[in-house]
Amino acid sequence: MDLVLQLLFTGIGIGAVYALVALGFVLIFRATNVVNFAQGEFSMVAAYLMVVFSVDLGWPYWLSFLIALAGMALLGVIFNLGVYYPLRHRTYLPVIIATIGASILLSNSVLAIYGPQPQVLQGWFDTPGIQLGPVYLDSQYLLIIAVTILLVLFNFWFFEKTLLGKKLQATSQDKEMASLLGISVSTMIMITFIYSAVLGGLAGILVAPVLFVSIQMGSTIALKAFAATIIGGFGDVTGAIIGGLALGVIETFGAAYISVPYKDGFAFLVLIAFLIFRPQGIFGERVAEKA
Amino acid sequence: MPLLEIRNLVVRYGEIEALRGITIAVEQGQVVTLLGANGAGKSTTLRAISGLEKPASGDILFDGHSIAGLGPEAIVRLGISHVPEGRRVFPGLTVKENIMLGASNRKVSASQISREADAMFDLFPDIRTFSNALGWTLSGGQLQMVAVARGLMAKPRLLLLDEPSLGLAPVIVQAVFRIISQIRKDTTVLLVEQNARMGLSVADHGFVLETGRIVLGGKPDELWGNEAIAAAYLGGHAKARA
Ligand SMILES: Nc1ncnc2c1ncn2[C@@H]1O[C@H](COP(=O)(O)OP(=O)(O)O)[C@@H](O)[C@H]1O
Ligand SMILES: [Mg+2]
Repeated sequence: MDLVLQLLFTGIGIGAVYALVALGFVLIFRATNVVNFAQGEFSMVAAYLMVVFSVDLGWPYWLSFLIALAGMALLGVIFNLGVYYPLRHRTYLPVIIATIGASILLSNSVLAIYGPQPQVLQGWFDTPGIQLGPVYLDSQYLLIIAVTILLVLFNFWFFEKTLLGKKLQATSQDKEMASLLGISVSTMIMITFIYSAVLGGLAGILVAPVLFVSIQMGSTIALKAFAATIIGGFGDVTGAIIGGLALGVIETFGAAYISVPYKDGFAFLVLIAFLIFRPQGIFGERVAEKA
Repeated sequence: MPLLEIRNLVVRYGEIEALRGITIAVEQGQVVTLLGANGAGKSTTLRAISGLEKPASGDILFDGHSIAGLGPEAIVRLGISHVPEGRRVFPGLTVKENIMLGASNRKVSASQISREADAMFDLFPDIRTFSNALGWTLSGGQLQMVAVARGLMAKPRLLLLDEPSLGLAPVIVQAVFRIISQIRKDTTVLLVEQNARMGLSVADHGFVLETGRIVLGGKPDELWGNEAIAAAYLGGHAKARA
């Protein structure tokens, strides 16, 4: 039982990271009808920005954190203007290929600067964790879970309670109609890219102390997050979050009870099972009803 | 000076010439109805006015200023509101939210917009009880009411309505047209209809469009009087009279 609680805590912690990246996937997909294959690289770039400011330059952690997030917002703007905007009137295929190209460009640029050697980033807190009864709560995982809860609440408030959130939803449902009402579609899509880049960046910064900071961390996280969105039902925000958490828990338990080397494999087994037996995902029906 | 003036407007979709040089004027305070068979170019005319399609040649003047070439976001800010074919109510937003977004062309606070949306239900009492229902759950008639209410939230000087009666039961069509005759007190309306009898019943002026050309224009009585046209475009009711 103790082990189960311990694994549950770790699983939710890592699942929260997948959930944040999955949320970025879903928001961009709903706004542009395109899967952004560079979403994982957003996490990787943000982690390296932390290495630049916090490790290399030795600036305070919180300041590096704020600068890294600002950098991600800027990357969101550049990504929107450079990758999506020129192709926005084309079919989805050129846009998808452009996001793949951008992902290669980002990882190779970082590779050129830092080389293949993984970097180490400290966690936010000096204390490694606290013992709570039988469960050891790692401080970084606690932070990940806390930030994710706050972000999910913020996301709900923003999209359900604000007029801007409603305009973003309207844009993702019918761009032409949104523009007829005077909603600036290009601004809404710009906001979506900024928000998704910051979300992906946050996930990268939060998970970096748990993993190593490496060129590959982006694609690993993105694959898991992508699986999470399929499990949740593509295009559904709640589904992405629940899918992410479920995947984190499944792979943690799988690693503990079945096989550690196949840890990453469990995510894809679950993904394949869903694609065969429930391709619309847990929350997929709502999407089908809307269409 | 007419509120809206279309001069020799040509619109193409690739090779297809959907409008072949049409000229229309809409006077302030009028309801003008554009009639024509399926594919005549009625929707294209409205889409060109609201900036969804770019004119190949010709001009569109609103209040004496050319708006040809402006985008839809700029045009609705000038006071032209387009309720397009198919209603296009946002399926994942509630009725109230859909209506509120109609004010996106104006700079007003969210609380003010919310009050205005509530007031809009006085004009559309049938959808008041569905205020919190999602768009995709509504019936055709309800969707049409929401679409028109949303269009009016722009406080337009010119309202473009594309086939508001399409696919609705006769009693609902009558409800929609009752609303149009209420709207006309403060708003100029350019109405597109295939249902000639309903379309002309509220109109001050009518035009008949045939494969991208205006073939006839005049007061509703004159249009009913023209036997050949009435038989071809205005359907059985006209034939019965003729
Ligand atoms: N997006 C489009 N692409 C190509 N042709 C179109 C498009 N929209 C309309 N058309 C063509 O333009 C002509 C006029 O269409 P439309 O304005 O929708 O007619 P109406 O509204 O009177 O039924 C038709 O021949 C139609 O097939
Ligand atoms: Mg039409």
